Amino acid sequence: MPSSQVPPLGSTAIDPTSARPPIDDAEIIRITPDQLRATLQDFKSQGMTMLLDIGGVDYLARSPRFDVVYHLLALPLGAASIAEVGKPRRVRVLVGVEADATNVPTIVDLWPNADWAEREIYDLFGITFEGHPDMRRIQMPDDWEGYPLRKDYAPRGPAAERTPRPAFANKSNVPAGTPPAAAVSEALQREIAQARKGLDT
Amino acid sequence: MSGTFEPVAPEIIEQSDDRMVLSMGPQHPSTHGVLQVVLGIEGETVTTAEPEIGYLHTGIEKTAENLFWTQAGTVIERMDYLSPLSNALCYILAVEKLLGITDKIPKRAQQIRVLLCELSRIASHCVWLGTHGIDLGAISIFWYSFDIRENILDLIEASGGARMHPNYIRIGGLNGDLPEGFLEKLDALIAKFPQRMKELRQLLQANPIWQDRTVDVGRLTAQEAISWGVGGANLRATGVAYDVRCAFPYSGYEEYDFKVPTRTEGDAYARFIVRLEEMEESMSICAQVGKKLVGGPVNYDDPKLVQPPKETIAISMEALIHHFKIVSEGIRVPPGDVYQSVEGPRGELGYYVVSNGNNKPWRVRTRPASLYNLQVLKKMAPGNFIADLVVMIGSLDPVFGEVDR
Repeated sequence: MPSSQVPPLGSTAIDPTSARPPIDDAEIIRITPDQLRATLQDFKSQGMTMLLDIGGVDYLARSPRFDVVYHLLALPLGAASIAEVGKPRRVRVLVGVEADATNVPTIVDLWPNADWAEREIYDLFGITFEGHPDMRRIQMPDDWEGYPLRKDYAPRGPAAERTPRPAFANKSNVPAGTPPAAAVSEALQREIAQARKGLDT
Repeated sequence: MSGTFEPVAPEIIEQSDDRMVLSMGPQHPSTHGVLQVVLGIEGETVTTAEPEIGYLHTGIEKTAENLFWTQAGTVIERMDYLSPLSNALCYILAVEKLLGITDKIPKRAQQIRVLLCELSRIASHCVWLGTHGIDLGAISIFWYSFDIRENILDLIEASGGARMHPNYIRIGGLNGDLPEGFLEKLDALIAKFPQRMKELRQLLQANPIWQDRTVDVGRLTAQEAISWGVGGANLRATGVAYDVRCAFPYSGYEEYDFKVPTRTEGDAYARFIVRLEEMEESMSICAQVGKKLVGGPVNYDDPKLVQPPKETIAISMEALIHHFKIVSEGIRVPPGDVYQSVEGPRGELGYYVVSNGNNKPWRVRTRPASLYNLQVLKKMAPGNFIADLVVMIGSLDPVFGEVDR
């Protein structure tokens, strides 16, 4: 359940991935979810043997809102020495996912280790992977509401879930919402009135 | 609950005449923290194994998004708590790439980073060896390996001030230079190390009980290891010589002369041998760093990125202002995304870091080596005995701070 405590954006780049040319040694490809399986199958047949990682990013203000990021590595199968491995090719596939169509085809059948990575993205971003054999939460409890790594999810979680702070941790011992005492209120009014007077003259 | 009789213990999830579903962990002592494995067993043989993770999920990635770039390293170190320096180094390297100052880091800082990361690799392998030994009933190995670890933690404490999470590697360099007498302590450790390794090898390597328990257990082929994304010693024990330090050198690793030990068997014993050899190679890198260590500054000279030395704050107004700015609002990192990986003790440890130009990271995604190493248990365990499962978990060397983050 998204909380009302939306973290302030204050962003300067809505789409950081296109803000500058690539600065690492990976080839970067941007595709849409319906091209995903064909593209990755193609890469696999080109010798990208290892799926390093799948990560998710929430860009909130951008369209498409999410990125699912696949990192591939071309590790030769029979490479028994450093020279044979050399500098393997690395590919980064960015898949833009729209906020209203959070559905991506699974690649568990291509690389079995996509299983937990996809579950984690489902758990923390709410992006479902179509065809995944076991689409359950993995890090959070099964009955958890909301997707914690989304940007509109408050850092400390939904207010209802939060453990109340002990009284001594609050700055003041006066409970929140208590109206100020009459004397304090009058003094404040006087101060405001005086300030106004100062402004007028 | 579809069993024919009542379960006798809370661990038993399901029971019938020939099959039982058993919950191993999350409090089981051999699961190295908080791993639960839901086992389908027939007699003593495991038919299915489904690891359940997430008991140690602390939301470090989310926390990092809400800290300054300069502060996030503190929580990121706590992911893989056995080798915090590798985590910190990887994150810092990624941020330095985003800042475009990768080649401006002083040589001395890079050398010290390499030195401490290799030391923490040995320390991490010491924990692995000690606990793996205890899992298999070899108790005394624990004290031998923790003796080395103790010396290394002393060195890490001397450099960064804390034994486990020193937060010593900072954006642009290090948090201060090494203290006086550090290299002498390091030399003493280097001199003592071969004898200690000899003892470890004597205790276990040719030990028939150890071999009985580990040879041919948890076998992985190179093909399987690659397709499951397994890394580090677990991958090299199958004969694939992939090491990020050689394939994608960082922090000047190309200057050091070291071997990447491999084996071809791919079983728990092969992983054990590879890790032992790795410890020796790491110590040789440490010795090389000790010899080659150059003088000079340990920080990139840009007060907008790196805090000025503490002693200048009292005498220089500019230093005070820069210090105040970095502490109160952090640094700003140009927008972009970057993937940086290092060879952690458990394999390729990667960070996919996205900046939107603000003073906080937009996203810090870890490629957790332990997660992928542990996941292969699903493939590895079926067909083996329950007792061997303990060997497999131990030999994969997962760290749950990293698996769950």
